Amino acid sequence: MSWFRRNDTGSIAKERLKLILVQDRALLSPSLLNEMKGKIIEVINSYLEINQNEIEIKIGRESRRTTLEAIIPVKGVKKSHR
Amino acid sequence: MGRVIVVTSGKGGVGKTTITANVGASLAKLGKKVVVVDMDIGLRNLDVVMGLENRVVYNIMDIAEGRCKINQALVREKHLSNFFLLPASQMHTKEDVNIETVYEIISIIKESFDYVLLDSPAGIENGFKSAVAPAEEALIVVTPDVSSVRDADRVIGLLENKGIEGISLIINRYDSTLVKKRKMLDKNDIVDVLGLDLIGVVPENKAVIDSENRGEILVLTTNNVATKAFENIARRMEGEDVPFLNLVPEKRGIFSIFKRGE
Ligand SMILES: Nc1ncnc2c1ncn2[C@@H]1O[C@H](COP(=O)(O)OP(=O)(O)OP(=O)(O)O)[C@@H](O)[C@H]1O
Ligand SMILES: [Mg+2]
Repeated sequence: MSWFRRNDTGSIAKERLKLILVQDRALLSPSLLNEMKGKIIEVINSYLEINQNEIEIKIGRESRRTTLEAIIPVKGVKKSHR
Repeated sequence: MGRVIVVTSGKGGVGKTTITANVGASLAKLGKKVVVVDMDIGLRNLDVVMGLENRVVYNIMDIAEGRCKINQALVREKHLSNFFLLPASQMHTKEDVNIETVYEIISIIKESFDYVLLDSPAGIENGFKSAVAPAEEALIVVTPDVSSVRDADRVIGLLENKGIEGISLIINRYDSTLVKKRKMLDKNDIVDVLGLDLIGVVPENKAVIDSENRGEILVLTTNNVATKAFENIARRMEGEDVPFLNLVPEKRGIFSIFKRGE
């Protein structure tokens, strides 16, 4: 056992709890989230020129409200739609 | 028309039955007409915690299956004329319960009471669902540990999906001495992560177990800090603005008094 083993187990519990709840509150499993991302990109990609490497899609929950946040940098409108 | 409130938790053994009995009795002491309903079909406990097991004749399944009238199944508490128990059946399982029938029974009962408290079983399966179905409000019980708070978060999500709006939090078995030493989750941290209104903090207290052993309701026999905590919950439910008592133990000294709990 380390001499530096933390003893404030209450604070450790709090930190663990926060991480666990972030995972639990994620409504979709990582694989489903990926699948959804793929489909969103596919749809948007057929209208807009986007930078696929800079896309950020997250489901967040603050207190008791759930939101879907997507940041998709747009380069322009697809040639075929101009 | 009375308020129908489910007492629930997710994790088992955190104090739902104890809180149902004691908060119910505290509301009755305030003059309210109260019925506590044991929704733990197959594993009934509320009759034993209230010391009424010898008076039970009929139960909620007898009403559901037409063997008796609602009034015949209600058991009056020994000391209070305005406090009743509707027992669960020990013979059935939670799968035998028809959610619509329970809903109908509770809608009839609530017309003649101020409060209907539903003691939910642990878990999120059929038993939980039938306890929650008739409820308009909820009291979520947690103990200050990671798994209990985690499970509560899941249950809160389910209740919100069902459209239950008045959800309040009770932290049970709180030990302020441990919190002071940073050995237990702080009540403010629990409130923060769950994002609910705190309606009570009940201290860890040996008298709670003693009362249960005797088949007595703590708030009807003992006047201690846990009793005060249960009574404060009842008063807050009645809309009174009751301040939370100091939870921090006083400085250690030979004659120091430890104020545990709320
Ligand atoms: N504040 C407290 N201090 C000390 N002991 C307590 C306290 N609250 C509850 N207990 C004890 O904890 C045990 C479990 O309580 P209880 O039966 O009320 O939990 P429950 O949530 O209804 O359990 P279940 O999920 O099995 O229905 C009982 O022995 C009870 O006496
Ligand atoms: Mg119980």
